[in-house]
Amino acid sequence: MTPRETPLPMTVLSGFLGSGKTTLVNYLLRHNEGQKILVLVNDFGALPIDEDLIESQDGEILSLANGCACCSMGGDLFEAFDAALKFEPAPDQLLIEASGVAEPRRIANFARAEPDLQLNGIVTIVDAANMEDGLQDPRLLDVMKEQISSAHILLLNKCDLVSQVQKNRARNKLKDLNDEVKPIDINHGRVPPDIIFGKGKAADMTAIETKSQHNHGDIFDHWALKSQKLFEKHALWETVSSLPSTVLRFKGIFRSPDATTAWSIHKVGAHVDIARIEEPSFAEPYSEFVAIGLKEDKISEVLEAAFQKDQ
Amino acid sequence: MSGTTVFKAKKIITMNPVQPEATHVAIRDGRILAAGTEQELAGWGDHNLDTSFEDKILMPGFVEGHCHLMAGGIWQFTYVGYQDRIDPDGKHWPGVKSLEEVLERLKEAEAKLGPEEPLVAWGFDPIFLMARRLDKNDLDAVSSDRPIAVVHSNFHLMTVNSASLKLANYVADMGVDGIAIGEDGTPNGELQEMAAMFPIMRRLGINLRELGRSRSSIIDFGKVCNRVGVTTAADLINDLPDEDVAEMTSITSEDSYPIRLLSMLNALAQPVDETRDRALELAHHSTDKLRLGGVKIVTDGSIQGFTARIRWPGHFNGAPNGIWNILPDQLNELVSVLNDAGVQMHIHTNGDEAIEAALDALEIAKAKNNRPDLRHVLQHCQMADRAQFRKMNRLGVCANLFANHLYYFGDKHYELTIGPDRATRMDACQSALDFGVTFTIHSDAPVTPMAPLFTAWCAVNRQTESGRVLGEYEKITVDEALEAITLGAASTLQMDHEVGSVEVGKWADFAVLEDDPQKIAPESLKDVKVWGTVLAGEKFQTP
Ligand SMILES: [Zn+2]
Repeated sequence: MTPRETPLPMTVLSGFLGSGKTTLVNYLLRHNEGQKILVLVNDFGALPIDEDLIESQDGEILSLANGCACCSMGGDLFEAFDAALKFEPAPDQLLIEASGVAEPRRIANFARAEPDLQLNGIVTIVDAANMEDGLQDPRLLDVMKEQISSAHILLLNKCDLVSQVQKNRARNKLKDLNDEVKPIDINHGRVPPDIIFGKGKAADMTAIETKSQHNHGDIFDHWALKSQKLFEKHALWETVSSLPSTVLRFKGIFRSPDATTAWSIHKVGAHVDIARIEEPSFAEPYSEFVAIGLKEDKISEVLEAAFQKDQ
Repeated sequence: MSGTTVFKAKKIITMNPVQPEATHVAIRDGRILAAGTEQELAGWGDHNLDTSFEDKILMPGFVEGHCHLMAGGIWQFTYVGYQDRIDPDGKHWPGVKSLEEVLERLKEAEAKLGPEEPLVAWGFDPIFLMARRLDKNDLDAVSSDRPIAVVHSNFHLMTVNSASLKLANYVADMGVDGIAIGEDGTPNGELQEMAAMFPIMRRLGINLRELGRSRSSIIDFGKVCNRVGVTTAADLINDLPDEDVAEMTSITSEDSYPIRLLSMLNALAQPVDETRDRALELAHHSTDKLRLGGVKIVTDGSIQGFTARIRWPGHFNGAPNGIWNILPDQLNELVSVLNDAGVQMHIHTNGDEAIEAALDALEIAKAKNNRPDLRHVLQHCQMADRAQFRKMNRLGVCANLFANHLYYFGDKHYELTIGPDRATRMDACQSALDFGVTFTIHSDAPVTPMAPLFTAWCAVNRQTESGRVLGEYEKITVDEALEAITLGAASTLQMDHEVGSVEVGKWADFAVLEDDPQKIAPESLKDVKVWGTVLAGEKFQTP
């Protein structure tokens, strides 16, 4: 086994059959922004990749022209993660498309435990139109609840197909099951890759800009801060942990007051990670952070205030 | 014409009601020509009389209906179980009866390893965890620098030393489910479930699936079977890629390979249509000693791991319900497609909710297309109630009950997982008999040791590790249990016309026993000694 130089960020995409996972996966593969995404499908259906994206097929592995790849996980998680970590060329992002009955927390646990993986978050996609039907089947109720309650990012899909009343009902139901995460309304599985993957690798934050995110960026707002300040780890953890759920993702790198150690910080949903950067690639003792949220929630104001108050 | 051999035995238990006992069996071309007295056989002409079994008991070769090829390969690790075991090469491993003995065994093994090898042990029994739990400090005393991993008998837990923890960076409380934390606030070495075990297994090269694939492992598996009188065994989940099928075909076709091996395709590793097509294709690769074409569908998890799908009122200790591996709706589709195509299904169902989902799926499939030629089997089927057995009867569905569980996990089920009411009706062999459900009993080796006579003992006595009797009513008689491990299992594998009883035309496959299971006290059934086996008339004395 050869350890990776930097941990592979892993995102678990969960959601029921028909909730739009497949459409979302295809959308992300089309908008990979130069990242090599490896998709592992934890289901036994056919690999759900749009025909025109596929460049070649080698046994169980589909290769895409843009450097991404997709393969089936079979039934064995051990084998699947072992294969993903050996995969050549090494991917930049690992996206697990969990089966409709999978408990995403169990899959996410692999990334929490394995040093060569880093949990980028659990994304759960819910069908606004028939979410309530799903919550009727007593055999599946607990699975569905688990998928929603363990999510760091909740996507309410097919919002164009439902009335405002239906949408509100779905939102209330989601809030009952998970009030730490603010659901994002989407249509046709279209969501900026930034939301799903965060921005690049945690330790590689040298090129932060708030350029407009294609054309799906309208409803999202970016915030960035670059500062010569040093941050005390625990204080920063407190600040970031108490950010409201309208901040969908927050990440950054910072130097602690002794100025010798550098850290990365990453928040998605209510989940905050702080990890030491062994060999920081940035020489200057500065810190920088980015966040993404919904425009309507004015996250910039919230963040400015948080960083003014505490630091 | 090839010759005829007659084995003379002290007694032959035939499982053929027309002639329950015999003293002689005649064999020609690897098949049973006749059974009876010497005079009754004389009419078949000249024969060689073989008297090597004249003081032994012959039975139909035992049939293990649910185990895994890994049961052979696992022996490359050091055994630290509570029960005495014999490895494939005949080495006797006395059970270790205390934590001290476990550590002693580990020290002995450690001393024999090369400088770079990790120490991996298996079979650690939960009985050791009653007083206090094994932790990293215990294992650090065995070695502070060599990585050590002790895999528990259920394969869902392991305990490792500090050197292993360090390899995976498990040095502080990282808030990860499954990494147990000790009183000092750091990981204490106990790791629960695959996610927490994966980083260690990956770094120590412990790959359980590979354990079942290698040539030596398949050969060792044959030896494991031979020691306990098994001549037909079903490997109950396999991805069966072409290269593995070729290897299995080559190994099993050797005259020295002592068993008929069945291997069931993992139905959830590819789309439904591919599963169907592959299963039908594999059936064409079957030989006399390698049978393919059946599939395995895993619906839920395990009761002891709290991952089985159970109905109201749920777990006795309030733990949340378990996991589905397949949506009930998808199961309905899969089962219908495979049933229509004529593919036999072995459906893993531990909890009663999973059993219900599987029976519903089979009902839908059979209402459309009954296919009486197929026998589908609920594997484990541990929590089935009597209504579910009645439904199995109506649908013509078989059960393979996990009798060994009564002994190994029965106490835990009674006290913790499902409580007394449901624990006392687990693995309900008598109910299967009551409602005429074709059934067998199994070991799921290496989860519990393969030994059909021990499995039969479990079904007869229903005794747990602590000595509690788990449900008097569901006990069956010795004869019923012997039928379950021969003809019953053969029926669930759709091989009852070929093996499972001593009858004219069937394969001359026998278990050769030193003691008479019908004469020994039922509580001693597990102590019947096995001499070895006969496969297609060839003797395989256990070395
Ligand atoms: Zn099994």
